[in-house]
Order: sequence, then structure tokens, then C-alpha cells
Amino acid sequence: MTHALDSALEGAREANLRRAVRALLRRPLLRAGGPQAEEFRLVRRYAVDLRSWFDANTGWRLIVDSEVARLVKLAPTTDDPTHPARDQRSRVPFSRRRYVLTCLALSVLERSDAQITLGRLAEGVRVAAADEQLASAGVTFTLSGREERGDLVAVVRLLLELGVLGRVAGDEDAYVRDAGDALYDVRRRVLAGVLAPSRGPSTVVARELDDRLAQLVADPMPEAEDLRNRALRHHLTRRLLDDPVLYYEELDAEQLAYLTGQRATLTRRVSELTGLVAEIRAEGIAMVDPDDDLTDVRMPDTGTDGHVTLLLAEYLAGRLGEESVVKDGNGTVAARGVGGGPGREVTPNRPQPVEEEQLRGFVRDLTEQHKSYWRRAAQEPGAEALLVDTALERLTALRLVRRGPAGVTPLPALARYALADPTIVESGAQLELAGSEQLGSAEPATSGFGRAGQARLGSAA
Amino acid sequence: MGEFVAAKRRFVVHLRGEDLKEALSQSGASGYVSEDALAEALGRLVEWGNLRADPDTSRVTTVEDFHRARFLYQLTHAGEAAERALGVYEEQLGKRGALQAVALADIATQLRALRELAAQTDPDPARLGLLLRGLVDRSEDLADNAQAFMGSLRRTIELHDADVDAFRAYKDQLVNYLERFIADLLTVGTEISRLLKGFEDAEVTRLLSIVARRDAEDAAPGATAARGDASGSGDENGSRADSLADESDPREVAYRAGMVTWRERWQGLRQWFLSEPGHPSQAKLLRSRARQAIPDLLAVVATLNERRSGRSDRSADFRTLALWFAEAPDDDARHRLWRGAFGQYGSRHLVLDSDTRTAREEQPVAPSTSWRDAPPLRISPRLRRTGSYERRGRANRITDREEARRLLGRLAAQQSEQTAAARARLATGQPTKLGELGELDTGAFGLFLSLLGDALASRRPDRREVLTTTVDGTLGVRLLALADAALVEIRTPAGIFRGPDHVIEITDLSQPANGSRPVMSDARPTGRSEDSAEVALT
Repeated sequence: MTHALDSALEGAREANLRRAVRALLRRPLLRAGGPQAEEFRLVRRYAVDLRSWFDANTGWRLIVDSEVARLVKLAPTTDDPTHPARDQRSRVPFSRRRYVLTCLALSVLERSDAQITLGRLAEGVRVAAADEQLASAGVTFTLSGREERGDLVAVVRLLLELGVLGRVAGDEDAYVRDAGDALYDVRRRVLAGVLAPSRGPSTVVARELDDRLAQLVADPMPEAEDLRNRALRHHLTRRLLDDPVLYYEELDAEQLAYLTGQRATLTRRVSELTGLVAEIRAEGIAMVDPDDDLTDVRMPDTGTDGHVTLLLAEYLAGRLGEESVVKDGNGTVAARGVGGGPGREVTPNRPQPVEEEQLRGFVRDLTEQHKSYWRRAAQEPGAEALLVDTALERLTALRLVRRGPAGVTPLPALARYALADPTIVESGAQLELAGSEQLGSAEPATSGFGRAGQARLGSAA
Repeated sequence: MGEFVAAKRRFVVHLRGEDLKEALSQSGASGYVSEDALAEALGRLVEWGNLRADPDTSRVTTVEDFHRARFLYQLTHAGEAAERALGVYEEQLGKRGALQAVALADIATQLRALRELAAQTDPDPARLGLLLRGLVDRSEDLADNAQAFMGSLRRTIELHDADVDAFRAYKDQLVNYLERFIADLLTVGTEISRLLKGFEDAEVTRLLSIVARRDAEDAAPGATAARGDASGSGDENGSRADSLADESDPREVAYRAGMVTWRERWQGLRQWFLSEPGHPSQAKLLRSRARQAIPDLLAVVATLNERRSGRSDRSADFRTLALWFAEAPDDDARHRLWRGAFGQYGSRHLVLDSDTRTAREEQPVAPSTSWRDAPPLRISPRLRRTGSYERRGRANRITDREEARRLLGRLAAQQSEQTAAARARLATGQPTKLGELGELDTGAFGLFLSLLGDALASRRPDRREVLTTTVDGTLGVRLLALADAALVEIRTPAGIFRGPDHVIEITDLSQPANGSRPVMSDARPTGRSEDSAEVALT
């Protein structure tokens, strides 16, 4: 009986640990008093286990004290622009001025007392923004006008979200209207942990942003063999935890060699802790989530944006399928899809990029067809540019396509989606779903996602 | 001007131009001063009113001296006040909380002496005055120094800016002060508070009034000798008696003002050393502020250490980051910088539904399979078609209900005909025996039963006749039980209805224009005259 009890307890513990890790991965900064108080308590309870795991596998620091739990995430790559800081209400990414104001506000808070008002903060930021280097770069802040005040309030809301400030009295909206002020507590502990890299930016001397960023997050590769392996393990685990898909072609030789040998171990460790399932394919690895909550962009998703994303993905996946038609001697289609089946080499076949203008035309045509399902703003002429933009942003964020100057290139993981079989209900008048008429068409290349739901082509077996 | 003040200290009142020049060159001020410049400066000062020039009538030895305008210069009151104010200003500015540990010891000594004097019944007013004045002076000094010290305890914010040397100097000064003054404040301060507590209120008032009386003497010399002895008594009654005297006496006024001042001073002294509930003493506040200075100092030391060990000043870090954001080439670069520098991003992963998962567990996919060829994730066709998982319902068609309406109309018409027929059959207005009703069709029978039910339900057990109406008031029923009623039958399509014979009279009340009797009155059977059937009663 105790055995059953033990295993039940163990199971409960694992479930709680998993919840704690997921909460941390979703939001690296949890506060005791915020909306994630429940998850904060879990993280605190399992702080020791979590810390040792992160230390051993990712090299990320976990700082837990009585007010805040912070997983100091060091980004494994520096070329991912899909995680911007967002305005808390409108979810619009921050503009240049807002980023600059955030940093200046943090520098003012660093030197302030335990409490500060919004007006005083604005004054301090204004003084700090009078720096001549900032002016020569073109950023001015003179606290005149509603727009500038609105920017500052957006920054303050971000700081409230991060837990650096705690509101005591007042209202930011009143400040925007120039009708009031707000009082905040400054939380020094959180402020101390807000920057992730251990190297201070003021010690980096470089002129270009790429160099600066590289030096900021640089982890020098150690010389000893096992330390190198450890560094590689950290890097790869970080990528597996953060990014939706890890493509082999993005890794250098050393990392690829290590990954090929240690793939099973790495993925098993991540799966055990987080509950993600490893989808290992010829082109890369994706840690996929059976619970559908460890992500901020969902695919497939409902709503107009989700629908457009889905249709665009289908179109682009069709391109992915088209390029890889292989014909045998008789000119008939022998195998669709390259590298299918075990034992065959994967020959990377680069699809041609699709120009964004073409995508916009595609969506324009679709607007008429889906008029009754999409939101009204999508009917206006010229709205397709915004729709395409949003959809491509989501697909890029999920590493399913790549946007470049020549156009949009679909990436291999896009091929993991297919249309399900429709369930046909015999009612008197008509078939329930419209999917059937498209599936019944004779050209499978244009039906859902490059392959038919009812027929599999190119199965070499 | 400084020379004039210095001369004043030496009790020299007048200065000549030559003396001034000599004194200036002696003190080494600003090189050589020419005669003319000096004369000009002196002339200006006279003009402004700082100096007063009197003609010099002393003997001279040369002709040039005789022709030169000779003046004796002297500070005017205004000039002196101005100089003194300037001196105080400079002194205060330069003050850095000079150490005055001796002040505390002095205060303690004076309090002890005061204690002794108070024990005497007739203390010497002069000595008393001297003591008290000395006390006041010392405590003013103490207060001044404490104020200067508080002011010089800089806020830690400013300390962060300081470089190491300035900080070290500040630290030395702070530690010195704390060592010498605060320690003394603690030890001597307790003794002083003990002494202060020992003074009772009445005692204090007595002493103060003695001194105030003496001061008042000074203020208005030449007062009448008759009042002079009142200053010697000095107890409460005496002072009260005096106050009853002439109010406009300047000495009285001065005495009262003096009392107020002395009382304030004494109160101030008490408050400096003794705490009351809600009002901590000044000494206590000073101690706590000094205590607070130590951790602040340590924090600054830690910051300076950090800077030295290579960790950069975080505020400078943020400013550098602001510059990087400003100089970044485009928005994407800025988003990358945000992610790298702040690390506040969440993980993102693709989704897997449970069907695919179980399918994969049953048939594992080899790792070298391409994504194209592996079993895919199924997307519902409805989602692909419409963008949502739920089916939007169709609006209901408006059905044509004419037919049903017509049917209902027909039914209603039928029913009303039947009812009318039944009524016509039954509501004759004539009293009839049940047996005479004969055969009733279904509608009439139903109406008959309901009427019978109404009537029987409202029959009282001691009466044989009942008079009632239906619920809707359109039919009136009169039922009369017969004395020796036989069992009668009414035949209906549903069966045969048997029961004892009654006389029933049904009237249609809704048609008063009818020939039948419109009003049913609860009349006794003997009141009726037309119907013979009713006479069959007991």
C-alpha cells in the first residue's frame, strides 16, 4: 500500500514540478503578489530542484526570493526579432522612442529613493534624455504633448508588469490627460535582476548593433573538452526550450555533431521536466506541446488572423510540395517528397521564395470568398496587406517560414500540417462540410497542405 | 571692511586712511593697493553708508598731507550690522558641525549648580541669572551644531556620485563626529535627563520668575523703590500680586514677556533631553539619525567596491542600452536587442493533439523521416473553411401558418356553436325536473354536468335549494331537491346518468333582453307564482 501511496505522491510531485517549469518558461519573472501568485508558490517550493536542473542543463540562473522568482534567460541566438516588448493594452510592439524611454526610466529608478511619483520620474527621464549622444541619434523627449506622455505611460505599464514598480496611489490615465499623478513603490530586488546578461552593457565598446549584441551575450567557448561539451549542451537545450523548431541547417558543425550523438538524451531530459514531446525529423527537431499552453502564438488558431494564417500556410506548403516533384522515366509522378522512407538521404531542396505581393493577391482573392467569416475591417480595399503581414509574423514566430528580401520561404516544418478527413453527415439536403468538395478534386497539389486527406501520395513503401 | 571689524575687536573706533593701508598690506590682501584706489573705495563706502567720515584734525607733517582730504573713518551701525551679517553667513556656510562635546559637560555642570541654588529658599538672583543664561547659551550651541550635523549628513544618492577621495574624507569626518559626540550624548545625556527630571514644575517657575524679575529691572531702570522689594520674594503668590498691580507698568510688561521667554527656553531644554510619549526628544532623534548614517555609509562602500571590481554601475548600463536602442538600424534589430538584453520572453512551441500523439505512440516515426512524409497533424476542415471550430447556425425559415390558423378558426367556430346549442338546450329559464331533460348530447351533457357540479358544490346541507351562477357568470342555476325524489335517468351518448330527481332551472344571465326572466333573486319558493312544479315542497 505504501508503494501505491509513494507512487501517487511521486506523480503529484512530478505534475507540480512540471507546472512550475511551464509557468517559468512562459513568464520568466513571477511575482508573489501578481496574478501568478499560485505558480510563484510552486516555483518556490521546488526552487532547489529547478535550480539544479537549469544549472546543469541550460546554464540559466534561477533567482528565487520572497518576492520574486526570476529565471534569467540568456537568449541562445541573437537573430530572433519575434519577441518584442509590447504595449500592455494594445499589444503593439514598442517603437524606438519607447525602448529608449524604458532604459532611461530604469536608469532613473536605479538612483531614486524607495518611492517615486510619475511626475518625478518624467522629470528624471527628461533630464536623462537631454544627453547629447541621444540627441545626435535623433531621439528627443521634452515631455510636451500627449503623445510623449502616452509613451511614458506605456513604459510605466511595462515596468508595472515586470514588477519593477508597484502602484500605491493614483492613475496613469489621469497623467496622460495631464490631470493627475501616480505614486509607486520601487522594488529594488526586481530592478536588480532585470538585465539578463552578466556583462554590463557599459563595458562593451563596439559600434554596430550586431557586434554590440554579440559581445553582450557572448559566452566564451572554454578550452577543456568536457567544458566544451557542457557549453554545447547548454546551448542546445536552451534552443530546444525556447524555440519552436530547431533546424539542423542552423547549427554549426560542432553543434550538429554533438546533437547527433546526444539527441535522445537531450530530448528525454527536456521531456521529463516539461512534458513536451520531441518530434524528431530529418530536417530538425521540434519540441511540441500536447497541452497547448506553452506558447503565445497558436497554430492553428481561430479568428480572422488565425484563418488567414492557416490559408497562407496551406498555400506556402503547396509550394513546398510542388518543388519536390520527382518524375521517373515515364514522366509519371514517382515520388512526391524527397527523402521519404528510412535509409534514404535527405537532399535539402530549397523552395523558391514567394514574393509578398503574390501573397497579397492571394489573400485579396480569398477575401471575397470568406467574406461572411472574416471581420468587417478585412473587407476594405488594402486591408490584405495588414492581414498578410500579421499572418507572416505569426508564421515566422513559429519558425514555419522565413521572410527575406526576396520573399517568403517556407521551411520544412510547415509540412507537418494536413487537412483532416471531413465527417460527412447524411442530412436530407446537403453535406455538412464544404471540405469535401475540395478534397474530391483531381489535383492533389492544390488541396489542403500539399497532400490530400484521403490519399497519400509518394509513400514509397 | 574686514579690517574695520578686526579693528573693532581691538576696540579701536577710528581708522585713518594710512592705518588702513598699512593694515591691508600687513594682512596681505590682494597685492599693493594704491592710495587713490583706497581713497576711492573709502569714498564709496561712505556714500553707501557703511562708513562715516569725520574730518581729521590731527597734526600733519608734510604739505601734501595737509592738502589731501583727510578723514577719519568709522563704522556706522548699519555698516556694522552688515558686516556682522556677512560674517555669520560665511560662518554658517562653512560650518561642518564642529564638535562640541564640551557643551554637554557644561550643561551638566550648570544643571547641578542650579539644583543647589534651587534648594536654597532665597537664591541669589545674580548667580541664578548667570547660570540660566549660561545654560541657554550652551544649549543653543548644541542645537546649532546638531542642525549643522544633520544637514551635512548627505543623502546617499549624492554619495554615489562622489569619487573615492571625497568619500573617504566624508567618512572620516562622520566617524569622528559619531565617536566623540554621540557617545557623550549617550552618557552625559542620561545624567542631564535625570537632573532635569529632578526639577519640579513649581520650583522651576520660582527660579524663572526670580530671573525674569531681575531682567525686568534692567529693562526699565528708575522704577519706584516701593516695588523693588517685590523682586526679592519671587514666589508664586508674589508674582500674582504684582500682576494685580498697574498693568501699564513697563516693568510688569517686561516681566511677563521675560517669563514667557524663559519658560520657552526651559521647555526647549527639557525637550532636548527628555522624551514625551509621541514626541521623542531631540537627542533621541539625533542618535537615530546618526545610527542610520552607518548603514548608508556601508551601502556606499559596497557600491564603490563593486565599481572597482569591474561590475559596472547599473545606471550607466541602462543609459548605454538607451543609446544602443537609439542607434539601432531598424525595429527588428531593436526587438533582438530587447530579447538579448532583458531576457523577458516566453517559450513558444508548436501544438500536438491527442489523436496524433496516440497514433505516433502506436507507430513511432523514424527520426530520419522528413516532415513531409511523417504522419501529419490534422486540421479540422471546418476550421480551414470558416476559421472557427463551431458551426454557425442557419437562420430559421419563416413558415406559413395560414392553414393551421384556418383550422384553428374552424375549430373555434365549431366549439362556440356547440356551446351555444348546449346552452340553448339547457338554459331555457324554465324550471325542469331532471327526469324531464330526457336525452342530452355530448356538449349539452358536459355543460349540464358542470352546472350540476357548481350547484351541488354550493349547496348547504340544511337547505334543499341552492342558487348559484357559473364561474363566468353567464348562467345561473337554481337547484331544488325534491322531497321524495325518485331515481331518474338521463341518457347520453356516453352512458346513462342516474340520480335523485331535482328541479333545475337554468337561466342565461348574459342576455337580459331575452324573454326569460333576467334576474334571479333568492326568493322563497312561495314567492313564485307562475310555476306549478315548484309547489312540490314541504
